[in-house]
Amino acid sequence: MNIGAFRSDPAMVTQTVEVPASTAWPIVLAFGIMLVVAGLVTSESVSALGGLLAVTGAVGWFRDVFPRERHELLTVSPEVPAVTTGRTTIDRTALAPDRHRIWLPVEIYPISAGLRGGLAGSVAMAMLAIIYGLVSQRSIWYPINLLAATFFPTAGPQAAGDLTRFYPSMFFLAAALHLSTSILVGLLYGAMLPMLPRRPILLGGLVAPIVWSGVVYSILGIVSPVLDSHIDWIWFVISQIGFGVVAGIIVSRRERIPTWQRLPFALRAGLEQSGMRDESHHGGEQ
Amino acid sequence: MYFLIAAEAAIFTIFVVAYIFYVGKSATGPQPAAVLHAPLFLTACLLSSSLTTHLAVRGLRSRNVRRFTWWWCGTVILGGIFVAGTAREWRHLVYQDGLTIQTNLFGTTYYSLVGLHAFHVIAGLLALAVVLVFAIRGDVRQEHSARTEVLSMYWHFVDAVWVVIFTVVYLIGR
Amino acid sequence: MSAARATVAVVRSERAPLVDTLHEWVTTVDHKRLGILYIIYALLFLAFGGIEAIIIRIQLIRPHNTFVSPQVFNRMFTMHGTTMIFFAAMPLVFGFANYLVPLMIGARDTAFPRLNAFSFWLTAFGGLLLYFSFLGGNGLYGAGNAPDVGWFAYAPLTSRTFSPGHSTDFWILALLLSGIGSMGTAINIAATVLCMRCPGMTLGKMPLLAWLNFTMAGLVILSMSPLTAAQLMLLVDRYLGGHFFDVQAGGSAVLWMHFFWIFGHPEVYVLAIPAFAFASEIIPVFSRKPIFGYPVMVAATLAIGFISMSVWAHHMFTVGMTSAGNTFFVLSTMAIAVPTGIKIFNWLATIWGGKVQYRTPMLFCVAFLFQFLIAGLTGIMLAAAPFDWQLSGSYFVVAHFHYVIVGGILFTIFGAFYYWFPKMSGRMYNEALGKVHFWLFTAGFHLTFDFMHVPGVLGMPRRIYTYEPGRGWDIWNLVITIGVLFQAVATLVFLGNLLWSKLWGKVAGSDPWDGWTLEWSTASPPPAYNFPSLPEVRSRRPLWDLKHPEDPDWHYE
Repeated sequence: MNIGAFRSDPAMVTQTVEVPASTAWPIVLAFGIMLVVAGLVTSESVSALGGLLAVTGAVGWFRDVFPRERHELLTVSPEVPAVTTGRTTIDRTALAPDRHRIWLPVEIYPISAGLRGGLAGSVAMAMLAIIYGLVSQRSIWYPINLLAATFFPTAGPQAAGDLTRFYPSMFFLAAALHLSTSILVGLLYGAMLPMLPRRPILLGGLVAPIVWSGVVYSILGIVSPVLDSHIDWIWFVISQIGFGVVAGIIVSRRERIPTWQRLPFALRAGLEQSGMRDESHHGGEQ
Repeated sequence: MYFLIAAEAAIFTIFVVAYIFYVGKSATGPQPAAVLHAPLFLTACLLSSSLTTHLAVRGLRSRNVRRFTWWWCGTVILGGIFVAGTAREWRHLVYQDGLTIQTNLFGTTYYSLVGLHAFHVIAGLLALAVVLVFAIRGDVRQEHSARTEVLSMYWHFVDAVWVVIFTVVYLIGR
Repeated sequence: MSAARATVAVVRSERAPLVDTLHEWVTTVDHKRLGILYIIYALLFLAFGGIEAIIIRIQLIRPHNTFVSPQVFNRMFTMHGTTMIFFAAMPLVFGFANYLVPLMIGARDTAFPRLNAFSFWLTAFGGLLLYFSFLGGNGLYGAGNAPDVGWFAYAPLTSRTFSPGHSTDFWILALLLSGIGSMGTAINIAATVLCMRCPGMTLGKMPLLAWLNFTMAGLVILSMSPLTAAQLMLLVDRYLGGHFFDVQAGGSAVLWMHFFWIFGHPEVYVLAIPAFAFASEIIPVFSRKPIFGYPVMVAATLAIGFISMSVWAHHMFTVGMTSAGNTFFVLSTMAIAVPTGIKIFNWLATIWGGKVQYRTPMLFCVAFLFQFLIAGLTGIMLAAAPFDWQLSGSYFVVAHFHYVIVGGILFTIFGAFYYWFPKMSGRMYNEALGKVHFWLFTAGFHLTFDFMHVPGVLGMPRRIYTYEPGRGWDIWNLVITIGVLFQAVATLVFLGNLLWSKLWGKVAGSDPWDGWTLEWSTASPPPAYNFPSLPEVRSRRPLWDLKHPEDPDWHYE
């Protein structure tokens, strides 16, 4: 396999280096083969010429390699470029006492914090939604039916036409959707909160829900016309913010735990930052 | 070489797939069941040639150039028998049974699949023959055993492909 | 006689005569020279393909345009696709792989230097043969000249009945040649990575570029061969009267589609994975951070390579496969988004918290991140079979795959050009011109390909010669063509920058970017033997270790 191997022993370093000699046979062979196939679209004589060239090329190549490969000796230029760096050395901020390379973030919230935050947020959001249902339609079932109808537009109530009544199937659908989505968002929240710069609750509780609402506002007409025709955007935003703030508060009240940066796998898979420097403070290592 | 074999294997796979896909889809005769006879003798020749190359390379590795030459020569002869046998079979198919590559789908797929393999056998034979000439002239020594091994690996691959083709064409395809 | 010899000697002492230089380049087996040959050759064909694209777009600028004839139009889109994929994108990728892989793994050359030269020349002659069809195809048999069957050449359009003369044969033979060349190069790259690494460089310490190109080589080996086999079958059909794709004799046109796309889809990743490789080298250096999640990046690459072999039939949802088949290919196609997503997150995490320097290579890579994300999203849309039934064969699909190939792949290739230009030429490129190129090209790209989605959704089919006014397509086609103008000018700026910088640029030095991989430890351009003594490495960033002996990487890996 390894026919062109160079000796890799450092003791063999000398003033000259063997490299494979230049040779014209590969191009002759390639040109010959090209002419052979080109003969198919032109005329047989081209193929014949190509065959001749190809055989010559193959034989020449063979004689190049056998019995010993031809090599050229090159003189090594004595100048070897020095390896230097333009990186300036500066004071390091001591983030972890015993090591100056750390894996960001240094501390994270445990997974259970995300779960709890998601559950608490889901309760807050459900309360807000029910208040909205009571205020607007005098029915606590209205938002529940709406949510279920988003994903299963053919299910039940459209035929009945009454979104204020209680339908068991819609209730379970909505509850399952609400809980699973809330827990997933809560987990994401728990993972991201330590990475958000400066005021995590403001960002995660207010800004993110508003941005999210904007996205939903622009695409809901395509995704779910049912929901789009019934939705009240003020209340939508309020309930999103309710979720964000409550989940954020619940998550941030938990103790942080250090990341597993010392475990070998985490060493390999974790966030890595070499040489923590002053300028990179904005990275969020609070 | 392993990579080359992987690439070649992929090419053969496509041809075999095409063959299987078109089995029994020929609009007109002759059908494979009527004209194909399993070439057991040729198969035995080709498969045993795998063994002889193996023995030849082993001989060279233990510095026994004579043994190498004889076994290698045996490989070339067995491979030659295979090619000659295939040629006879084709001759029979073309002139007796009237099956050409243009006749029907079976003809197209059969000739291209077996032909592709025969092409590989011939290419391998040429390489083997060149080495044999060198061996008879006495230019082959123990330090070349790695290179002959590469060649024998290719030959094993060609044989293995024949096992697949034999199964598909002569056993399943009929 | 003696006088002549004396003059030659005098000239040689100043500068080798042109013939000698040419002879050196033609007979070279040096991986760096072959890499540069590949790249120059690819740039030439990039220009050809670009001119064809411009002709297509001028034809479509307004309804009922007659800038070229329908026949020429067919040739143009066929040649544009074939040229760009086989003779521009792949040689570019191979060129960089050839140049960089041995340097980055600390080897003196590839495993099979002569095979390398042979593969390049085979690819090069394949391209010449394809373009010879413009001249030779017509004069000989009188029926059409350049190939005009579309770049995927569906049967039965390629049969003798529908494609008389030799135009399709030129296409088959040129691709056959370049396919064999590609396989040779791929075998070479894979063998180089496995056998030629310098002392201390285990597979886990290889630069990502080497890993990704290794995966690419594996994909080429496994996907080029089906194409070669299918081309051989087509040749049997056309020359020997076989019936592989002849429906009247029981053959199947769908079989060609399967065979072509078994090649065709992995081909996308053959191009995309090296593009990822460039991003994986450029982004860390300009973020001044090591790559985030190296093992995961390698695993994701291998996963992409593996899954990409089982997604081909998503090009064929409209053929009418079984629902089980459709479901399988929908799911496998969507599954490929997972490792790709992992990669995008890892690049973002590499940038995150870094001290980012927005030099031209980095600009191209950042644009790549955005654009490749969008390309991936439209890819997911098209992966859903019902959506694909609606939009397959429309300009939406054209917009999608140009977003992948131009917005994703070509952008990182431009980034790679700027990043390694100092290494290859020894000169620094002009940063201002580089930025001009970037902004012009990005503007043109978005003008063209963002708005190309719209007529697709409005029902404009691909490959149409012209269209009726008043279908809502007119304004979009005008905008698309205007965008092409920007891209053309930007590409001229790019080529001008390369030429100007090669001749008069500032001398770059061996390590202008303060890089970390082995290619920056040797002179620019590197001597023929690459390294005076083979380096020994202990971590993934050997130059970091040399530059910071007090804080080497191998304490942490």
